[in-house]
Amino acid sequence: MKLRVVIGVVFIVGFTSLLMWNFGNSIGSFTGFSEAEYTGQRHHVVGKWIEDKPHGFDHHRMVFSFYMEDEEGEVRQVQFNKPKPNNFEDAESLVVIGQMRNGIFYSDDMLVKCPSKYNDASNLETASI
Amino acid sequence: MIGTIGTASLVIAFLASIVSMVAYFLASKKNQTNPNIEKIGHLFFGLKGAMVFFASGLLVYLIFTHQFNYFYVYNYTSTDLSSLYLWAAFYSGQEGSFLLWILCGFVVFLGIIKWTDDTYRAPVMFFLTLTQFFLLSMVIGVTIFGVHIGASPFRLTAAEFAHLPVFQSNPDFIPAEGSGLNDLLRSPWIIIHPPVIFVGFAMMAIPFAFALASLWKKKYHEWIYPAFPWTLGANLCLLIAIFLGGYWAYETLSFGGYWAWDPVENASLVPWILGMAGIHTMLVQKKSATSHKASLLFAILAYAAIVYQTFLTRSGVLGDASVHSFVDLGLYNQLLIFILAVSIIGLGMYLYRYKELPHQDKENPFLSREFLMFAGAMSLFLTALIISVGTSSPIIGRLFVANPTPPIPQFYNDWTLPFAIVIAILTVLTQFIWWKKFDSGEQFAGELITPTMTASAITVLAVILTGINNIFYMIYLFAAIFAVVGNSIVMYRLLKKKPKMIGGTVTHIGFAVLLIGFLGAAYDTPMLDQQTINYNAAVERGEVIDDQGFPVVQNIEVFILYKNQPKLINNEYYVTYKDAEITHAKRPGEQEYTILFENRRTGKQFQMNPLFYPMIANSSPGNMSWTVEPSVKTGLTHDLYLYVSGSSLVERENKRISDEATFQAVADILMDERAGTYDFNDVLRISPGNSQRIGQFDITFNRFINMDESELPDNAIVGVKAEIELHDIQKQVRETVTPTFALIYEDGDNIVYSPETSFEHQEFTVVFENIETASDQVKLRFIGLEEHIEDEWVLISLEKKPLVSTVWLGTFLLMFGFSIAIVRRWSDQKRRYRQQKSQ
Repeated sequence: MKLRVVIGVVFIVGFTSLLMWNFGNSIGSFTGFSEAEYTGQRHHVVGKWIEDKPHGFDHHRMVFSFYMEDEEGEVRQVQFNKPKPNNFEDAESLVVIGQMRNGIFYSDDMLVKCPSKYNDASNLETASI
Repeated sequence: MIGTIGTASLVIAFLASIVSMVAYFLASKKNQTNPNIEKIGHLFFGLKGAMVFFASGLLVYLIFTHQFNYFYVYNYTSTDLSSLYLWAAFYSGQEGSFLLWILCGFVVFLGIIKWTDDTYRAPVMFFLTLTQFFLLSMVIGVTIFGVHIGASPFRLTAAEFAHLPVFQSNPDFIPAEGSGLNDLLRSPWIIIHPPVIFVGFAMMAIPFAFALASLWKKKYHEWIYPAFPWTLGANLCLLIAIFLGGYWAYETLSFGGYWAWDPVENASLVPWILGMAGIHTMLVQKKSATSHKASLLFAILAYAAIVYQTFLTRSGVLGDASVHSFVDLGLYNQLLIFILAVSIIGLGMYLYRYKELPHQDKENPFLSREFLMFAGAMSLFLTALIISVGTSSPIIGRLFVANPTPPIPQFYNDWTLPFAIVIAILTVLTQFIWWKKFDSGEQFAGELITPTMTASAITVLAVILTGINNIFYMIYLFAAIFAVVGNSIVMYRLLKKKPKMIGGTVTHIGFAVLLIGFLGAAYDTPMLDQQTINYNAAVERGEVIDDQGFPVVQNIEVFILYKNQPKLINNEYYVTYKDAEITHAKRPGEQEYTILFENRRTGKQFQMNPLFYPMIANSSPGNMSWTVEPSVKTGLTHDLYLYVSGSSLVERENKRISDEATFQAVADILMDERAGTYDFNDVLRISPGNSQRIGQFDITFNRFINMDESELPDNAIVGVKAEIELHDIQKQVRETVTPTFALIYEDGDNIVYSPETSFEHQEFTVVFENIETASDQVKLRFIGLEEHIEDEWVLISLEKKPLVSTVWLGTFLLMFGFSIAIVRRWSDQKRRYRQQKSQ
């Protein structure tokens, strides 16, 4: 009995610590461009696409580039190594995942947060009174 | 009016559920159930169900009659929806899906009233009505003592958008059109996927209620007999729902795969795994009257997991963590109370009775079926725990960082892999011991020689053939094959003696086949042309340098095809873009592409037809979102997975609709006879720094260049040049020209001077016609360009996905096995029931 309990406790403690340690390493932090620039590491940056700045897909380099404003108000160019994701125009916010280098954010993964259908007033805002 | 009736019926239902709950409680308070009070419980339970059905009927009626003054109808439907999708719109929003959940619960729990014996019926119904009480509270939408409870599906649009000018000036305004069902949900799968989930969720409450009833009534053993088939049923439903969701995501939604460890997916996986753990401990309990504690715990946890994941996905906690959009309906507090109540009541009663629960005096030997089964159940439990930790990252992650992101998928993969190995091996050991008593360890080991040797041989062969070089994957593959072989041996023996009992072995084989299939996902590879492959290799070596002198780090994962120009892909197929057609097949503006594949060696041809379509209902004016439906070529060893990432046709169509404000106008243009043509007329207007695309030409207006006096033509008042960069994508040439725009004063008139400027590599010219001072746009006329537009291109994402069919096969085997087990357990339970009655 004793031995089993000891083994059990050791296992539980070991398992939990290892799990949490690895979990801590597996998650990142949503940050802004300035921190991404500062650390140079891989980051998740949340922001909004700036529609009136140039954007487009470069067919030579196969890179989709656009400007994004993060939640702190910083604006940077983002270069995404895939074509423009679906729903891009529709997104209420974007999460770009990648690295900052020399003022440009190089992203290889992007989450496009679609506006919930909730409170979708787009038809009503333009409705004639 | 109808809304008031609807809300009223939900309130009545809510009150009835309270009455029935209290009645069931009172009925089961004494040792002997009070049948009269219990009848009152049934009566009000029935009333509650009838009222919810009535309210749902009203909501469906509102949807079908397009009464857009109701917010739910406005928000999830539009007049263009077919009746199929109007029906699905009933549960497309959170309020409706809660209703569906309650309805499924009601119907399933009628079965409990009918088929459960007197001992458990009333207390079980008490706990079931308790769960329904919480669910109903989410949709009543009334304010009691200043606290607003729930979000009613009968809310009015005017109330919801009271801040908009249109409602401020006219509160009686009724929108003529709804905002429509999300385009991604317009798929036949939506008819079946959500109802199956909610039947599963509802059924999972049954083992929970039985467990709590047994704790309450101190009858710790018998509950598993009636609860067992329901638990199997709940797990079967969740499995089917998970499969449907995965298949939907893979086949039509272009999520890129069938599984992404997304919180919504985990929300049904975790309860499924815990349900599995419970099923196994219940089996032990049946066979050897031990492991009561574990069965009770897993039954409680499986339902708590459902409620917890509901909390995570519906409270808005997950915000940025998922591709799914979660709406916070203001139910955060209520959902929190729900999960706290379920956990506190469940675990509280469990701990309160813990000392009393039957326990074994002597421990099971290591190689006993009890111990092995328990080890398997524990492994399942830990797997569920790991996935829950990962899914909870927005909460638990705060221990580590301020704004935690979800864990990388590798976290889930790394941590579930060892448990999958353990579980796979345990299935074989347990199955051998389960059906046969062994006198000694040696005898047992002797039995295992055949499956071990066979599995080793197959694994070695597979490793050699496929070139797997990761040691963990090899062990994993061995474990899975071992499980297939071992369980097949047991199944073969059973088939001869007790064919009705093969359910367990079939599910184990299905599970193992599934594990083999999952391995394929580790070897998904993009298929590309040689040039891109070389480029990516160079990027990998750090040899590609960008304009600013930094090494490029990003790979290219798509390739471009020009019409009728074959490209050799992966040194395997000649791939040709044959055609694109605007078909309007399922929605306005839908495009179908024809991509031809020809095997380089065999010359065999086949065709893939991906779709591309505008999501009109999801888009805002001026910004059309487009999405894709991939084309999948299913194969025995691997699938080819192809979708279009963009094309000349899409860009043209986009240009035609770019200025339209309402989606009816957009739809009209998309449907008109000019669909697919260029809308260009030689003239382009571009602002500084922007570019536009005409056919294969990318035209960028970089900047204005001021002209020196000396450069200006005679008599010019003012003059400026525009730096225009022309990029011919097909020929891969770039050149810059600087056409002039000047005003000349002559004979008292201002005359525009804008000479034709020719390009070195092109046979057309450009004229800088005007500057639009308001917007700084230049007006450029390209003379003769239109004849040179010959480009029809398409961007292709193509992936080879090994063993996807194997995943489906494994899932089907699992479903099949579950079904066999349910049939058998159900008839067992009925026989027991009859025996009890006759005694």
